[in-house]
Amino acid sequence: MKTEASAPAAETAATSQGSALAAARAGRRLEPRSMVRPAVIAALLACVLLFVPSIFSLYYVDAWTQVAIYSIVTLGLGLLVGRVGMVSLGQGAVLAMGAWVSARLLFATGLPFPLVLLAGGLITMVLGTLVGLPALRMSGLYLALITLMLAGAITVVLQNINFPNGGHGFTGYNASTVHIPPIRRPAIAASDPAFFRYSVVVAILMFLLVLVHLRGRPGRAWAAIRQSEAASLAGGINTTLFKLWAFALASFITGIAGGLVAGSFRYLNSLTFSTADSITLLAVVLMGGAYSMTGAIVAAFLLKFLQALLNDWGVSPDWLTILFGIGVLQVLTTAPRGIVEQMPKDLARLGRLIRGLLGRPTTTRESAE
Amino acid sequence: MPSTTDLEQFLVTGLSLGGVYALSGVGMVVLYRATGVLYLAFGAVGAMGALIAWQLSHQDGWNIWLSFAVAILFGGVITLVYGIIFGPALAGRDPLVKATATLGLLLILLGVMDLLWPSSGGASRSLTMPTDNNTFQVGQISVTYTNVIALALGLVITVVTAAFLRFTKLGTAMRAMANDREITAALGVPVRRVEAAAWFGCGVLSGVAGVLLADLVALDSTSLTFLVISTLAATLVGRLRSIVVTFVAALVIGLITAELTPVSSLSNYRDMTPFVVAAIALLVLNRRRVIMVGRQGV
Repeated sequence: MKTEASAPAAETAATSQGSALAAARAGRRLEPRSMVRPAVIAALLACVLLFVPSIFSLYYVDAWTQVAIYSIVTLGLGLLVGRVGMVSLGQGAVLAMGAWVSARLLFATGLPFPLVLLAGGLITMVLGTLVGLPALRMSGLYLALITLMLAGAITVVLQNINFPNGGHGFTGYNASTVHIPPIRRPAIAASDPAFFRYSVVVAILMFLLVLVHLRGRPGRAWAAIRQSEAASLAGGINTTLFKLWAFALASFITGIAGGLVAGSFRYLNSLTFSTADSITLLAVVLMGGAYSMTGAIVAAFLLKFLQALLNDWGVSPDWLTILFGIGVLQVLTTAPRGIVEQMPKDLARLGRLIRGLLGRPTTTRESAE
Repeated sequence: MPSTTDLEQFLVTGLSLGGVYALSGVGMVVLYRATGVLYLAFGAVGAMGALIAWQLSHQDGWNIWLSFAVAILFGGVITLVYGIIFGPALAGRDPLVKATATLGLLLILLGVMDLLWPSSGGASRSLTMPTDNNTFQVGQISVTYTNVIALALGLVITVVTAAFLRFTKLGTAMRAMANDREITAALGVPVRRVEAAAWFGCGVLSGVAGVLLADLVALDSTSLTFLVISTLAATLVGRLRSIVVTFVAALVIGLITAELTPVSSLSNYRDMTPFVVAAIALLVLNRRRVIMVGRQGV
C-alpha cells in the first residue's frame, strides 16, 4: 500500500525535474486525443448526412431538418447566455425577422439561395443589433426585459405587415392572392431529404464560425466579461464592443437560420412565430446546457424532435410547454450546466447504483471517479 | 384625424388600462424590492385566475363575485407557493437568474391553461363584470363602473403601498431587505416571513389585474400572459424601484395605447407602445453608465 502511494509522488518529482520533457510528453499524449475528437464528430456528421434521410420517414426527416435549423438558433442564444452572460428573450423575434427578410429577398430577386441567406443574416444582424443597442450598456436584467418587449413588438409588426407571399411593394404581401407561390428552395436542395442535408451543412458552417470566434480574441473577451465586467474593463477590454459583437454574431446566425426556416416551411404566416417561442427557446437552451456547443444540439432536439414525436403520438404539445417550464426551474435550482453535463453524471451515479445492487465490489478506480 | 369625442372616449379606456398596469407595476416593484425577483409570470398567474373565474361563474353557475374572489386567492396562493419553494433556493443568485426562473412558472401555467381551456374550436370566452352595465355620462362620454374601479384601484393601491412601505413595520422591513438581505436578517427581521408577505401581496395583485384585464381587453391566455410586457415597461421607467414613477408611466402607456386606437395609420401598431416607451426611457435615463461590482443591493 505504501509503495503504491509513493509511486505517483516519485513521478511528480520526476516531472518537476524534467519539465520540458514532461511537457513534450504531455503534448504528445494530448495530440492524438485532440485529433480523435474532430474525427469522431466528422464521422458522426457524415453518418447523419448519409443515413438519416434513408432511415426515417419524410415526416421525421422534416423534424430532423428543424432540429438542424433550430440548433443554429439555440447556438446563438447559448452563446449569449452561456459565454457572455446576456439573456435575450427576443431570439424568436430575431428568427422571425430573418425569415421575413429572406422570404422577401427570395420572392423579389433571383439571387442564389446562399447569397440570400447571407444577405438575410447581415440585415437581421443590423436590425437586431440596433434594437438591442439601448440595453447593451446596462445590466443583464434590462437587456432581458427590453428583448422581451422587442419580441412582443415584432409579433405586432409581423401580424400587420404579414409575411411576403409574392406580392409587390415593400412588404411583398398581397391579401387577394389566391394561389400563393411557395418560397423558393435552392436548386440542389429542392426535395425534403436534400434540404435536410443542405440545412445540416449550413448548421455545420455556423458552428464552425462560432467556434472560430470562441477560440480567438472575442471568445477570451467574452469569458472575461462573464466573470466580471468591471475587471475586464479594467483589463483594457472594450466591453461594449465585445458585447455588441456577441449580440451581432448571434443575430447574424439566427438570421441565417430564419432563411432556412423560410426555405423549409415554404409558406410563412404570422402564426408561424409567436412571442412565447422566444421564451421556449431560452428554456430549451438552459435545459440543454448553455455552456457547451453540444448543448445547442440537445436544445434543438428537445424543442423540435420531441415536438414532432409527441405530435406523431397524438399527445398535446402543451405537455411539452409544461415540461420545459419544469425543466427551467430544475436547471436553475439544481443543475446550472444543463443536460449535457448532468446526464453523464446521473448515468455514472445510476451505474454505481446498479453495480451496488448487483453486489459486485467496486474497484478503486471507479470509486475515485 | 379622429374627432375629439373619439379621443375623449378612449381617454376613459386608456385611464382604466393604465390603472390596471399601475397596480400590476406596483405589485412587481414591491416584490422586486423585497426579494430581488422580477416576477415575469405575473400575467400568466392573472390569466389563469381569470380563466378559473370564467369557469366558475360562466360554466358552473357560481356567484360572479365569489368566483372573482377565488381567482384573486388563486393568484395569491400560487405565487406564495412558488415563493416558498423557489425563493430561498435562488435567494443568493443574480437577479437575472431569479427572473428567468419565473419564466419556468410562466411556461407551466401557459401549458396548463392551453390544456384545460383549449383556444381552438372558435368559441371565444369573455369575462364580463356586472359593473360593465352601470354607466354614467361625463359630458359626451359614457363611463362604466368597471373603468372607475380599474383607475381607482390603481390609484388606491399605489398610495396605500407607498404609505405601507413608509409607515408600517413590515414595510420598513421590506425596504431594509431591498438594501441588504443578510444585514436585515442579522438585525432580527424574520426575512422569510417578510418575503412570504411580499409574494402573497404580489400574487393577489396579479389575480386582481388578471380579472380586470380579462374584462377590459380579452379573456385569452396568451394575450393576458404577455400583457405583462406593458407593466414591465412601466416598471422599467421607474427603474424597478420608484412606485410613483411606475404609476405615472403605467397611466401614460395605457393612455397612449388607447388614444392610438382611432388613429387609423397607427391603430394596428398601438400594442408596440410599451416597447417604444421603455426604449426611449432607457436611452434617456441611462446615459450614464453604471457597472456593479461585487454584491449588489438589489
